[in-house]
This record gives sequence, structure tokens and C-alpha cells, in this order.
Amino acid sequence: MVAKRKKKYTVGEGAQFMTRKAALKKLQLSLNDFRRLCILKGIYPREPRNRKRAQKGHTGIKTLYYVKDIQFLLHEPIIWKLRDYKIFNRKVGRAKALKDFENLRRYLNNHPTLKLDNIVKERYPTFVDALRDLDDCLTLCFLFSTFPSLPHIPRDQSALCRRLTMEFLHAVIEAKALRKVFISIKGYYYQAEIKGEMVTWIVPHHFSFEPQQKSEVDFKIMSTFVEFYIVMLGFINFRLYHGLNLYYPPKFSSVSISETEKSLVDEEIFVSERVCALNFPLSKTSEVAEEEEIEIDNFNSEENPEKIEEAKREAEKIKKLKTLFKGLKFYLNREVPREPLVFIIRCFGGEVSWDKTLFVGATFDENDESITHHIVDRPSMPKQYISRYYIQPQWVFDCVNARDLLPVSKYFMGEVLPPHLSPFIDKERDQQYIPPEERALYDPSILEQQYNKDAEMEEEGKEDDSEDDNGEEEDEDVEEDKQDSTMEEVEAEVIEDNTNKKKPKLSVTTGEVYKEVPWKKDQQDRQAFKLREKLVKNKHKKLYKSMMEGRKERAKEIWLLRKKRRLHDEKQAEEKKTKKKQK
Amino acid sequence: MAVTGVKRKRVSKKTKQSWRKYTKINDIEDFLDEQRDEERLGAPLEVLSNEELFVVDSTPQTSLLSSKEKRKLRATRPLKCFAALQPHTKVPDPIKKRNRVKTSEERKSSFVKPNENLKLKKMTALAERRLDEIKREQKQTRGEYTKDIWNSNNVHPIQKDPWANTTTKIHNLRNTGISIKNVTNDLKLKKSILPAIDIPHPGMSYNPSFKDHQELLQIVAKEEMKTIKEEKHLQRVTRDMFRKITQDKKEDEWLIEMSQELDNKISTETSDTEDLDKISINPPAKNKKKTLKQRRKQKEQLELEKQRKLVKLEKKKVGDIQRLKGIKMNIEKVENKQQKLRELRKIKAEKKKKEPKVLSAMKIDDPGLDFQLGENISGNLRGLQKEGNLLSDRFISMQKRNILQASRRAHKKKAKVKKYTKSGHKENWEATVARKNKLIQK
Repeated sequence: MVAKRKKKYTVGEGAQFMTRKAALKKLQLSLNDFRRLCILKGIYPREPRNRKRAQKGHTGIKTLYYVKDIQFLLHEPIIWKLRDYKIFNRKVGRAKALKDFENLRRYLNNHPTLKLDNIVKERYPTFVDALRDLDDCLTLCFLFSTFPSLPHIPRDQSALCRRLTMEFLHAVIEAKALRKVFISIKGYYYQAEIKGEMVTWIVPHHFSFEPQQKSEVDFKIMSTFVEFYIVMLGFINFRLYHGLNLYYPPKFSSVSISETEKSLVDEEIFVSERVCALNFPLSKTSEVAEEEEIEIDNFNSEENPEKIEEAKREAEKIKKLKTLFKGLKFYLNREVPREPLVFIIRCFGGEVSWDKTLFVGATFDENDESITHHIVDRPSMPKQYISRYYIQPQWVFDCVNARDLLPVSKYFMGEVLPPHLSPFIDKERDQQYIPPEERALYDPSILEQQYNKDAEMEEEGKEDDSEDDNGEEEDEDVEEDKQDSTMEEVEAEVIEDNTNKKKPKLSVTTGEVYKEVPWKKDQQDRQAFKLREKLVKNKHKKLYKSMMEGRKERAKEIWLLRKKRRLHDEKQAEEKKTKKKQK
Repeated sequence: MAVTGVKRKRVSKKTKQSWRKYTKINDIEDFLDEQRDEERLGAPLEVLSNEELFVVDSTPQTSLLSSKEKRKLRATRPLKCFAALQPHTKVPDPIKKRNRVKTSEERKSSFVKPNENLKLKKMTALAERRLDEIKREQKQTRGEYTKDIWNSNNVHPIQKDPWANTTTKIHNLRNTGISIKNVTNDLKLKKSILPAIDIPHPGMSYNPSFKDHQELLQIVAKEEMKTIKEEKHLQRVTRDMFRKITQDKKEDEWLIEMSQELDNKISTETSDTEDLDKISINPPAKNKKKTLKQRRKQKEQLELEKQRKLVKLEKKKVGDIQRLKGIKMNIEKVENKQQKLRELRKIKAEKKKKEPKVLSAMKIDDPGLDFQLGENISGNLRGLQKEGNLLSDRFISMQKRNILQASRRAHKKKAKVKKYTKSGHKENWEATVARKNKLIQK
């Protein structure tokens, strides 16, 4: 007897993959339904290692799926719903054609609906998993919330998107979770920290809807994504609200519908409008703060104290950031985009209002004397109050990114704005040469230093001959005023520190003087470092070496450029001096 | 009985007993039996004519009906289990007029019947309405979220039971709403290491610093230059390789080219026929057999060659011991080379992780980074100009992250069909049909 001949592609890669057409046949679905199912279930096509073998000898490129994935889909109860849809469409079409409106209404009233809760749970077994995949969800929902009703999109989808995204913003406001903001030409980038996960999303600029070309984007597919993301975002909102002790369909304690309004407005619309205003605090289920500030433990401080120190500093900064605008009162002028600004200001504890006729939710009028900042985006205003700063909206964004209140002078109304820098910079940037002017844009304290330095230089110059420019000095004065207050605070802190250190000792004992050789410790450290370097695995040795070399090279470059700059500055200062002398 | 030896001529048949004893009814009984048999089984064979007895078998040997049709036919027949209810004789019912007994349902009066039906209908309608209401209450409307799906303890105790085997688990979990199939870890993994939202280039700020903006423009220009170069190359290799001529010229050239060999052929045709036998220069091959001696010699030669090779190999082995250092070096060289290749492959794989996978025959149509030229940057929010489309940006980002396969929408343009109704079908028939008739009448 001869052994039975083996058939080709019954084992190995040939048996692992399945073309899309075969999958359609197996699942008995149309292409559209299959696509929808795959998007909802999170099953994507795969790339094989050896394409020819995976395609069972066929050449060319076909869309392939894992057989196991398709078998997984086979068990999905949603498939039956999709088939129900098919029948439903057929019935409705027939009733429409026959103008059988009685049946048509009956069919339309109990149309099949997909229940996606368990799919959300299945795809994201924990809440954190869902948060990790929130970027896409938020961006798409924000985008679709701006859409009018379109073909291929359910009629209530954009309204639902709007509601859910606004609710999410409320949750971010309540949690004070916003970290970074950036205005790009595409839209507003936001980054929030929710449960330790960084969530980034883009909100489009507020412009009118521009229709899309069919060839560019498949609208139906994107709409299916949104269909899933809506469900996901809803459950995330629910969880977030309950984590913050808020009622989930949001409620307001401060706002109540008056009798006259009751007769005019639907209550649901009334509430949804207040939600969109973003300006009212939500009512809480209990006043107990659920999440306390967590102190960083000092466990393994011996391992890498620098990192822990850094983390502590970061935590301190974030703590400060959370109350950045506390006690400030903002007023938005008409031409300023309301939504992003209200969201940001409220995130950091500021109070905000706008013109009553612009949108519901204004809390105070323009003529309120306690307003500290009036945000304007026009070159001049006819009527101005002395008690407040008239600043451009970029100030708010830059303050958040700098994590400090920046001096307002550069952002006054009609001023040419300083560049708006991205807070999303890569970490490798510290190994690049950054000219002092640019560094000042990121860190205002450096600006101060440089200013002081410049002033010193100027004074030196002044000593030489008593000439000065009036215009320049005025500018400086303004800046100095702004910085005076902060400087004073810093000084006070320093003094306090000194007093703490000078505590009298309890007893005095004569002991041996321990002579500490200053270079000994450095040497020991270096030796320890070298030993540790030796412990690097052979596998990574080369990589480590090249990394260190690169770092050295970059450091050298920075040093060189700094030196150049210093020499250049000195030269210029000298030139200035000589010029002044000549005058 | 043997006592009755003498046959009596006359016997009294007065009593029932004696009647039974002495009357001979055998012939009648036989007749009746025969009749009954006849009734039951049909007429005796002797009586039947040949036509009645024999029938020409006209049924085909292979049945014309398909198995499906046979099955259908069989389905129409009464069930075998009811065979006992069927009469098994051909004897007709002796009682000609038998009364049919009505069922209890049939016996009900016509007054009661409709009323009862109505009651039943009402009862069922009520039950159905209740069911419907419950269903409607349970039905979730879109956008209503009333539970925490990540905190709900929808866990069956059997799921945690370490002793239960899978079949038991499946049996217990069925119809509880808990999915039996568990998701493989592979599906939970992200399909790409790329982030969902790329970090924006600082030059994409609405009010960028000069340096960042220049950097961005540099990047964009480099990309653009690359594509232009590629395009140029493609044109040089394809379009520019050929010259452009008109259709007429092409035909003319074709004619000339095709007719070039024709003159030569005509002139040489005569010479071709002359030396047909001289097709090849080489002489024809001959099947020449080798003699036995030749074969033996060949074998011996082969053997010798083999031995010579073996000797050479042995010699080489001895020589190689002297060359050990060199061989080691060689091996090292090869290993070094392989090591290098391995590293290269690793780097390549690392790079490939960041690139989108090939999921379909199409290529991703990536428009590149969004940018704004210096003249379009207004420097304040009021004069901001939007650049790029977020939807297509998402679409392409998903393609890059292997979530969607690159595809081009195949939208066919439908031919425009002009629609019109037949004149007779028009609603205002007076204006169309009647007018025509009027015209005809005139």
C-alpha cells in the first residue's frame, strides 16, 4: 500500500489564511455587511510571511484574513442581526414600492438594532484598555459632531456625537485632567491624563462643513467606526462620571428651569444646551473626594534617585497646573472661539463668561469690574476698562503649555504675537543646541535671567557714557513690573529655607574631623559607573557604545555652538560699546 | 357416534338440537364461504379472463422519477402508522347508512362558538400586549447608557471553577448571555506600533516660529522632490522611450516593414526548392552501437578515474591538516559575514514594524504632512486658515496602522436614463388622449 498522497496547502501557512472572498462565502454575508462586522469586532486583514503560499499558489495581492479570525466571527450573534437587516430592507423597499404605508410604518417602528455593549466589553476587557484606544474614538466623534445629516449616516448620529463629546469634556474639566494644548492649522490638539493614560485628541476648527469627495474617503466605513465609538464613549463617560461622583446623564444643581422658560423650551434641550455651554459645575452625588492626591513613595530611591526626583518635580508642576487660573475671571469677546477657551479656562479653575446673546450659559456681563482678563482677537476696542488686561487668546494656550502664568505684555491686544510653540516635542530635543531666544519661549525663567544679564550689560554700557534709549526702557519697565511679584515670592521662599537650615544643635561633642577628599567621591562614582557599563549584555554592547558615542558627539556640538554664540555675543557687546563711545 | 349404524330415513327436526344435528347446510356454508372469499379477495382465477389476469408491464426498469420526486411522492402517501386504521377487506360496510358522530367541538351551538373565539382572541391579545410592553421597556434606545460594563459582575460561578471541564462549562453557560467563546490574545493586541494621533510637527502651529516653519517646509519640499524625481524616472523609462507619430504614419511604416522581406522571398523562392535535401550542414546522426570491447574499456577508464579522485582527496586531507589555520580563518570569515547579515536583518525588521503592512493590491495614497506657506499664516486666531482634512487624515492614519486596507473606491458612473411616462398613462388624460381623439375626429 502506498501512503495517501498529501494535499497541498492543508497544513501551514496555506491553511492559516483565507481570502476575503472565501470569508464572505463562509459567513454568507455581503461585502458591506462583512466590512461592518469586521470593524465592529475589530478584525483586520493580515499580511502573510509568504504571500504565495498563503494564497494557495495564486500570485498577485489579495486581502487575507486569518481562518481563526473568521471562525471567531462565525460565533457572533450580530451576524443574525445583519441578516435581519437584509430582510428588513427588503420588506421596507417592497412596502414603499407598493405604497403600503401602514405596513411600512409598522416595519420602521420595530427595525432591528445592533447591541454593541458586549462587543465593547469583549474588545476592551478593562477600562484602561478602552482608555488606551480613546484617541481615535474622540477625534472621530468630535469630527462627526460637526457634520450635518448626510447620506450613509444615521440621522441622530451627529447630535449624539455632540452630546457625548461635550459630556466627556465635562468629565475632563471635573477631573482637571488636561495637560497640553496646541493650536495647529488642522485643529486643536488636546492631551489629557486620565487614570494615568495619556489621551490625545484633535478637535476641528470651527468652520462650516465642507463636503468630502467620494474618491478620497469611504464615508460608510468611517461612519461604521463612529457607530462603534459612540457606544464605547458612552460607557467610558458613564464610568468616568461615576468615578468623579457625578450623576451620569449630567445634572446641574445651580441651574433650574424657570416657569416662563418651561413653557418655551423642551427640558431635554434646555439641559443639553447647558451641557454644551461647559460653564456650569455638575451636581455631585456625594461631596467626598474619591481620589486623593497620591504621594510618591520613597521605596527604591537607592536605585535611581534622579528619576524619582524628576517624577516628584513633575507631580509638583502638575499640581500647580491644576489651579493655574484659579481666582482669575475671564471674559470672551464675540470673535473669540468660545468652546476651546471655555474648556481650557474651566479645566484650570478659572471663571469665564461671554456675551449673553452669543450662547446660553453666560454668568456675568462685560461691565463686571472683577474681570481680570478680557480675551480679544481684534486690533482695538472702543471702550476699555482699566481694571483688566486685554489679551489675545494665545495667552491662555501658552500659559497652559508653560504651566505658569506668562507675562501678559507680549499678548496685549493688537500686539504681534510670539510664536505658538508645540508642547508635543520629542525627548531627544535636550541633545540639540537650542539658542537662548528659543529656550526662553519654553521657559520664562530663562527669559528673566537673560533679561537681567542684558540689563547688567546695559548698565555697564551706561556707566561708560550716560546715554540711553527711552523707548527701550519703557518696555523693560513693564516687564519688570510683571516679574517683580514673582521674584519677591521666590526670594521669600529662599529666606525661609535658610532659617530652617540654621537650627541650633542640641549638644556639642568633640569628634574627629573627617577629612573628605573632594575628588574621592567622584572617582568612586566613576568607577561604579564603569563597572555597571561592563555589566551591559554582549547583545546590547554595540548599541550601547554607539548610543554613548552619539550622545558625546551631540554634547560636543552643543558645546561648540554655545561657545560660538558666547564669542559672538561678546564681540557684539564690545562693538556696541565702541559705537557708543564713538558717539 | 359409531353407535349410529343405521341411517334413518326420516328424522325429526323438532328441537333446535336435532335441527342442528340433522340438517345439512354444508353446501350453503361452502357457498357462503366462497362468496366471502370472493368478496375479500376478488373473483377466483378460473373465472377471470386473460386480460384481467395478465397485464403488460409498462413501468420502466429504471425509474423515471428522481430521488427528490420519489421522496415527494412518498410524502403525499398516508403514514405507515395509520395503516391499522385502514379497512383490510374489500367487504363493503353492511350498514349502508351509518350515522356520523360529531365531535364535541362540532356539537357546540352556533351561539356559543363565536363568543368563545372572541374570548380566546382577547386573552391572547392581552398576553401579547404585555409581552410587547416588556420587550419595549427592555429595548435600549440609542445613546442611553445605564450600566458600567466594566464593573458588572456578570460572571457565572462555573467560569471560575477549576474542576469543571469545558463541556460542563459550555453546558452551564448556554443561554445565560455570557459568551462561551473567549477572545484570543492576538485580537487584543494593537496592530501597529504607530500612535493613533501623530505628534504634530511644531511648524504646523497656527503661528509657528520661523525655524520650525522652515523645517517643516524643508521636509515637505524634500518629499515633493522625491516624488517628482520618481515621476521623471518613470516617464524617462516609459513614455520617453518611444516617439510619437500619427496613426497614418504608423500604418505606412507598418506596411513598409511588413513588405520588406517579400521581395527577397520571391527572388529566393526558386533557389530554395533546389537544395531541399541540404537543410542542415551537419550530417544526419547515426545510431552507432559500441562493441563489447569498447564498453569494457570505458568501464575501466571510469574506475580508474574514480580511484584517482580518491587518492587526490586523501592527499588533500593530509594537506588540510597543515592548512588548519587557514580553514579556521575561513570559517570565521563566513561566520562574521553571517553575523553582520543577521544584524542587518534585525534592523530591517525593526524598520518594517513602523511601515504599513501590505494588505491589499492598492497603495496608500498618503498626502504627507499638512503645511501652510508663509503668506497664508495670519499669526492670530481670527485670521486662521484651515489646512488639511481631518476625516481623510483619520482614514489614512487607519490605513497606516493596518486597521483598514488601502482601497480605491470603485464608483461607477451610472448612465443617465431619461424617464418619461407613456402618454396613455398620464393622469391628465383629457389633455393628452382626449385631445388626440379630438384631433382625429376633426
